[in-house]
Amino acid sequence: MSSKKSTAASNVVQLECKNLHEYLKSQTQIISKLYDYPAICLAVFRDCIPAIAKQFVMRMLCVEQPVPQAVVQSWGSQVYAKENSAACEALTELKIWSESSISGGLTAWDLNPSFKRNLKIAWLGGGRSWSMFNSVEQSDAKSRDISFLDTYAMSRWNCLLHYMVDSNASKGSEMEGISVDAVRIILHANLMVRNEQDGSYMLTSQGFQFLLMDTQSQVWHFMLQYLNTCEQRGLSLVECLSMLFELSFSTLGRDYSSEGLSENMLTFMQHLREFGLVYQRTRKEKRFFPTRLALNFTTKNAIAPENVIENNSTNNSKMQLSDESNYEGYIIVETNYRIYAYSDSKLQISLLALFTELLYRFPNVTVGVITRDSIRQALRGGITARQIISYLEQHAHPKMISNAAASAFKTSSVLPPTVIDQIKLWENERNRFTFTDGVVYNQFLSEADYLTLRDYAQSIDVLLWQSERSRTMVVKKSGHEDVKKFWKRYSKG
Amino acid sequence: MSKYKGKKRKAEDEYDLQTILEEDMSNDGATEAAVPQASGRNAEKNDETVQDDEYGAKDYRPHLELKPDFSSRPLYVAPNGHIFLETFSPVYKNAHDFLIAISEPVCRPEHVHEYKLTAYSLYAAVSVGLQTHDIIEYLRRLCKTSVPSGIEKFIKLCTVSYGKIKLVLKHNRYFIESQHPEVLQKLLKDPVIQQCRLKRTEENMDEEFIKSQQNMKGVSFGQKAIEETPEDEADKAKVPDDITKFYDKIDNEDEEEVSLETVSFEVDQEKIETIQKRCIEIDYPLLAEYDFRNDTINKDVNIDLKPAAVLRPYQEKSLRKMFGNGRARSGVIVLPCGAGKSLVGVTACCTVRKRALVLCNSGVSVEQWKQQFKMWSTADDSMICRFTSEAKDKPMGSAILITTYSMITHTQKRSWEAEQTMKWLQEQEWGIMVLDEVHTIPAKMFRRVLTLVQSHCKLGLTATLLREDDKIADLNFLIGPKLYEANWLELQKNGYIARVQCAEVWCPMTAEFYREYLVTKTSKKMLLYVMNPSKFRMCQYLIQYHERRGDKTIVFSDNVFALKHYAIKMNKPYIYGPTLQNERIQILQNFKFNPKVNTIFVSKVADTSFDLPEANVLIQISSHGGSRRQEAQRLGRILRAKKGSFAEEYNAFFYTLVSQDTMEMSYSRKRQRFLVNQGYSYKVITHLAGMDEDTSLYYKTREDQGQLLQQVLAASDIDCEDERMPGEGGFPRASTSRKTGGFSSLSGADNEVYYEQKKRSTVQHPLFKRFR
Repeated sequence: MSSKKSTAASNVVQLECKNLHEYLKSQTQIISKLYDYPAICLAVFRDCIPAIAKQFVMRMLCVEQPVPQAVVQSWGSQVYAKENSAACEALTELKIWSESSISGGLTAWDLNPSFKRNLKIAWLGGGRSWSMFNSVEQSDAKSRDISFLDTYAMSRWNCLLHYMVDSNASKGSEMEGISVDAVRIILHANLMVRNEQDGSYMLTSQGFQFLLMDTQSQVWHFMLQYLNTCEQRGLSLVECLSMLFELSFSTLGRDYSSEGLSENMLTFMQHLREFGLVYQRTRKEKRFFPTRLALNFTTKNAIAPENVIENNSTNNSKMQLSDESNYEGYIIVETNYRIYAYSDSKLQISLLALFTELLYRFPNVTVGVITRDSIRQALRGGITARQIISYLEQHAHPKMISNAAASAFKTSSVLPPTVIDQIKLWENERNRFTFTDGVVYNQFLSEADYLTLRDYAQSIDVLLWQSERSRTMVVKKSGHEDVKKFWKRYSKG
Repeated sequence: MSKYKGKKRKAEDEYDLQTILEEDMSNDGATEAAVPQASGRNAEKNDETVQDDEYGAKDYRPHLELKPDFSSRPLYVAPNGHIFLETFSPVYKNAHDFLIAISEPVCRPEHVHEYKLTAYSLYAAVSVGLQTHDIIEYLRRLCKTSVPSGIEKFIKLCTVSYGKIKLVLKHNRYFIESQHPEVLQKLLKDPVIQQCRLKRTEENMDEEFIKSQQNMKGVSFGQKAIEETPEDEADKAKVPDDITKFYDKIDNEDEEEVSLETVSFEVDQEKIETIQKRCIEIDYPLLAEYDFRNDTINKDVNIDLKPAAVLRPYQEKSLRKMFGNGRARSGVIVLPCGAGKSLVGVTACCTVRKRALVLCNSGVSVEQWKQQFKMWSTADDSMICRFTSEAKDKPMGSAILITTYSMITHTQKRSWEAEQTMKWLQEQEWGIMVLDEVHTIPAKMFRRVLTLVQSHCKLGLTATLLREDDKIADLNFLIGPKLYEANWLELQKNGYIARVQCAEVWCPMTAEFYREYLVTKTSKKMLLYVMNPSKFRMCQYLIQYHERRGDKTIVFSDNVFALKHYAIKMNKPYIYGPTLQNERIQILQNFKFNPKVNTIFVSKVADTSFDLPEANVLIQISSHGGSRRQEAQRLGRILRAKKGSFAEEYNAFFYTLVSQDTMEMSYSRKRQRFLVNQGYSYKVITHLAGMDEDTSLYYKTREDQGQLLQQVLAASDIDCEDERMPGEGGFPRASTSRKTGGFSSLSGADNEVYYEQKKRSTVQHPLFKRFR
């Protein structure tokens, strides 16, 4: 699970985008407090640790004393020693277990007691109930189906993205506006900066990269930034996190009661509502529906089917959200660098406009072309070629995909290889300098000295550059020692 | 964002017909305006009022209304005449045929094609029999949105007067014929035309026309190659009814035997020229049609296609356009090189079965045409007469005469023998004139051909209807409209032409060469980037690599100095302008049959009509500026379908070696535009694996490179120039007069114009004479 996450994150070069594991690792001071919440324990167990580590945890969960390290080691085959030690390390990093010494001078692993307790609770029940699991008993006529929730969540999220792309443009119908809090988070995350002169907001290079990520990574990244600032807002980070994790274990399409939530958590709920992670009809209503955005919060995978409430009417409804099997891309890329985008979405078009030159807008389709200028513009904005290509791949039109699959000659990408190459070349064009470390020799006293040394350097093939007129030469760093020795020998005799 | 820069560049691409026409007229004030005014119309400006959206794109959304069943319709029509066609639509095939008839393809890659409506394309559409209202109606049905009103207006404007009247020659009398009596009425009100009208009887029949029934009967060519497979019924179900029905109607119009009521009046043969000119002036250009079946004065010649000659579907389609109504229309057929243009020409001649004149642009291709005739048709040596400076067969009694453009237009004194042939040639009434590589001839030369030789119908053949000066537009009115243009990518998919991998190889300039390149101001610059040692090494590496694979390689260089240097250094045979005919043939024969000769170097003499079916690798080391046509022509040298190599993704390779950071880069981008628009993609190669280890390559050390640089710097100015083709202006004149043009013009980037020398140099070398 975590490996999958890191591949997604590795696409992003400059934008720091942690996965759950890394995030928790960095929260050293609160990590033990986090384990007071069963939901977090369950999420950590499910999504954060390698499969072998899961085995270890399960074997040790009901053991009431520390387990000698040698015993733990013996559980795995020697062939996979590397994996075993990686699993041990992951558990240590997350403070799920810690080293302790037991009698006989052996070192042993001791599971974190609160983690142990709360994971048991999560699995076996008991303890106080999860705050929001007081599900509303009476089924209600105004229940919302899944497609409604999906649309709602997406429209809220797009609203946020759209603000970023187009903050200064005229307020369109889609621009219901976003709260000051959200803007503050965007600024905090350095996705946008405020222009000091005219007070307008400008997208930063991180912002560009953020926009090109898939929705789920965006939500994750954004929520982390939110959590970073939540203490300032008087909210408890630990509480918020546990709430988020609890949400991620809820069922899509079911309603939950907000009865019994603390004042702080209700505020937090309003924020989640704004970003589209939960749906609530009115602010005052005691009932809410988590959306797919919240459910997918921790996992990269689309939600498991058992988390979706069975509802015949919605079985066939389009799950446009991160449900990748049904997602239809909209971009056709041609070998002549033309782009045809089958979309009316303002957001998608404005994203495309970040790196293409748009030519014509028809109802339902937009025609554009990738040019050197347009790509360079994007590169200057901090987007990498890799990101552009992966965005195009992610949103490739089904025709592109089927054609690539039908082609007898397998290619690694659905995009025309020339276009990929060219975008990369345009990027490489920007860093043509090659750097070689070297040492400068100058201020020779006589021409003869200079020539002797230069010829020597040339003879051992370490001369990088020389100018006879200024009696200057540069040798490779690796050759510096040799040349220096030679010079000493030479000047002595 | 500099979005507008791109726009501007695009605007430069669009040819401004008006200025070209003006130029053409100022060039030779004597020649009449042979192009009607309507051709100057341009839909490009129609969308100037359209608002740009926030990204600088033309926003057509408020002007167009999406139809509810848009997903089953294949087209978008922009108000500026550009049309976008989805190739994955179920009605793609129908829509494609229709668009080819009414518009010019702009680009045809895999998924979405772009076409453009122009005055010329619409002229072509009406001349093959489409009616204004049919065009508009069908466009409406195919379009996903409403058709912009400006476009409807444009179509009406361009087609209202075109294609309405035809000049028909039958029973050796010329008639002006039309299906629209009112048009003839209007015509006859014109005093000039009135005078040309020929009245056989003295009775007054001013307002009476000759009524006649025209029997339209399709023509079939040889054997049908492949029966078209019935389309999937399931596919059809998705298509809205109106589209299929209407398409069938249009499609069948040509082939059904329909009797049409036409009216006509006879005109004086002597005054044909005047009438044609006058008709163009009053915006009713005459379409020339030749009713060859009813021509009894010119005797039939006895040639037929051999049974073995099988036409490919696209060849047949193109010929159907030409002989659609049982008569021969004049026009141009555009097929990629290697796709069998000659067979189309031969079939056309065999269909008309009258005396045929074939014009091509070199002595070598005269020979090749003769072979083609012998291969595909029943014509034998006695029926075919070659008329070139070398081979002068007896013309009398022959049915097919093959010659070059320059032989016909030659203005200097000829030998007595040639003089006689010319005389005979001029006396003949030719049934059909086939013009090979028609895009290469300058308009003036072309007019001279047309005034010297009388023929009933003209068929132009070319691979690329493309010239940097865009004078190509004139051809529409000098020969006739474009009848058919094949889709390269489709032919490639079906295996009719080779699958070519195009690659641009970037050769870094070595430091020394680049320094010289930057400080040099003269035409030496060009020599420096062509002679770049890393280019040489790349070239040598590629040649060795492909020789090991057993491929046959042609290396092209426009620059003679480089050509010789490369070839001599690598010890390969080379052909350029001054190479004697015998030697050429010998080299080519060796290349074909001798397993030891796998690589030849050629200058641009081999650009066109050197038929080398064996070659499958082409390396280009220097080229003529940004000429898109040359690029396409050269690609054509290796396009001929290769046998039994379906296993590999590509069976032919086209490398262009480009010196990095020099002007070559931008030229090469420009050159590729045409092929890229045909759906070809260029792979950029920045590094060839294994090249550094290969010790057999020359110019590895700096000393060697330094010596090469000295040689380049010592080269004379003439060495720096591209080879001049004799037709383009004879021997280079004093170099001082050339320098005034600046470097860009020297390399030919800004004036890719074929021109004839005003002052003929007094002596012309006999070698040069031969070559055109």
